[in-house]
Amino acid sequence: MLPDNSQYLVAAYIIAGCVYLAYTCSLFLRARNAAK
Amino acid sequence: MGRMLRLVITIAGKDLRLELRSRTSLLSAAVFAVLILIVFNFARDPTAISTIDLGPSVLWVTVSFAAVVAMNRAFNVERENAAFDGLLLAPVSREVLYLGKYLANVAFVLVVEAIALPLFVLFFNLDIAHALPGLLLTLLLATAGFVAVGTLFSAMVVRTRFAELMLPILLLPFMVPPLIYAVKTTVLLFGARPLSDVAEGLRFLTLYDVVFITLSVLLFSAVVDE
Amino acid sequence: MTADLGSARAIMRRGALITGLGLVGIGVVMVLAIGYTPVEINQGPAQKIFYVHVPAAFTALWIAVPATAFASLLYLWLKDPRLDRFAAASAEAAAVFCGVVLSTGPIWAKPIWGAWWTWDGRLTLTLFLFFLLLGYQTLRAAIRNPLERARFSAVISVMGLVLLPFIHLSVYLWRGLHPKPIVLKPSAPSLPPEMLKTLLIGIACALILYVGFVTCRYGIQLARDLKESADAA
Repeated sequence: MLPDNSQYLVAAYIIAGCVYLAYTCSLFLRARNAAK
Repeated sequence: MGRMLRLVITIAGKDLRLELRSRTSLLSAAVFAVLILIVFNFARDPTAISTIDLGPSVLWVTVSFAAVVAMNRAFNVERENAAFDGLLLAPVSREVLYLGKYLANVAFVLVVEAIALPLFVLFFNLDIAHALPGLLLTLLLATAGFVAVGTLFSAMVVRTRFAELMLPILLLPFMVPPLIYAVKTTVLLFGARPLSDVAEGLRFLTLYDVVFITLSVLLFSAVVDE
Repeated sequence: MTADLGSARAIMRRGALITGLGLVGIGVVMVLAIGYTPVEINQGPAQKIFYVHVPAAFTALWIAVPATAFASLLYLWLKDPRLDRFAAASAEAAAVFCGVVLSTGPIWAKPIWGAWWTWDGRLTLTLFLFFLLLGYQTLRAAIRNPLERARFSAVISVMGLVLLPFIHLSVYLWRGLHPKPIVLKPSAPSLPPEMLKTLLIGIACALILYVGFVTCRYGIQLARDLKESADAA
């Protein structure tokens, strides 16, 4: 029987995505400030 | 070689004499250690956890905190009157300067430990007479390790804005390996295990000390010279 | 070698492009993982966290950290500010990848091993690496003088690098001879081809993302340094 744990998969992917996206936003904001 | 040694001792001696005259840091570190011991005593449920089980952790938490408080003082003394710049101008090699500071700090932390240890035995009612030589050796080796890294970092951190906060933040990961081995070794010692079991921990601590003292000596000039 | 704000802007733009590419790649990997790869019988769907967790861990531990340490060592020897800028950029990227490892790790551990955190050797090492990287950033933020900042960052990098094997050793001692967590070891030696392919694509995309992060961050630092020296002049 396949364990039913896909909610963990979804949570992990969302969190990883958020970490990457948040850092990217931080980079882009800082880049915009630095380029002025 | 002999001259170098004398210089190291002179520098260490100067620091220690300064500290003995004011005694403020020594007292604050000692008081801090006592406070931690008292808090731990009240924080545990005597029926649930025996002192012999909790003992090693309490001892090492106390030692670590006291060591950090003690090391914060390391360069503060010089910072006050730009005396450190004067020291740097003197024809003393950077290695000698580091070792002098290092020895003073080790001596200082050992004094704090010497105050904390009897109190620890007293508050926790531990019969550890059999473990004493091993315990003293472990204390010495672990202290030698933390202080090596701490002395280098205090030199870096002394001119930054949040020096007192920065030192523990930077130092924490470096205290973990000696702490793990020190606690393990202490547990074995309290449990009256044979010397051969304890030897592995002591060997690791010695390796850590050798590596980090050497590395700190080498990197010190990168920190203090332009 | 003179650089001007224009070239800094160009570097930032290039970095942004590569980062965008990397992000799309990670998205593709997630889709592939969910749709294309087979489900692992013992671990179930949660095993697929592997395709994000392992590339991040690989990038952090085997690419970002050694790059930072190497650049720091070279800086102590050559004193070239470009090395410092690179080290700072790589360290920041390493912290991000560590963050992903440390957040996806426990989420994977909970359904598989039954606990969020088990002081597993690799996760614990990554945790301490993360603390070291945070310390590195804190130190950099606290120092005004760029030369001092570069030197001190390099010193702490080198110290941190030497510390890592000690942490590894001591964590394994501390965990003692605990039995390995029940189920299958997540990275089985012989992966079915779909899993292997997706994993490799995952690693490639994480690497692209790393290059993007570092390029962009390098450009930002270059622009800031130029402005600072222009102000000082």
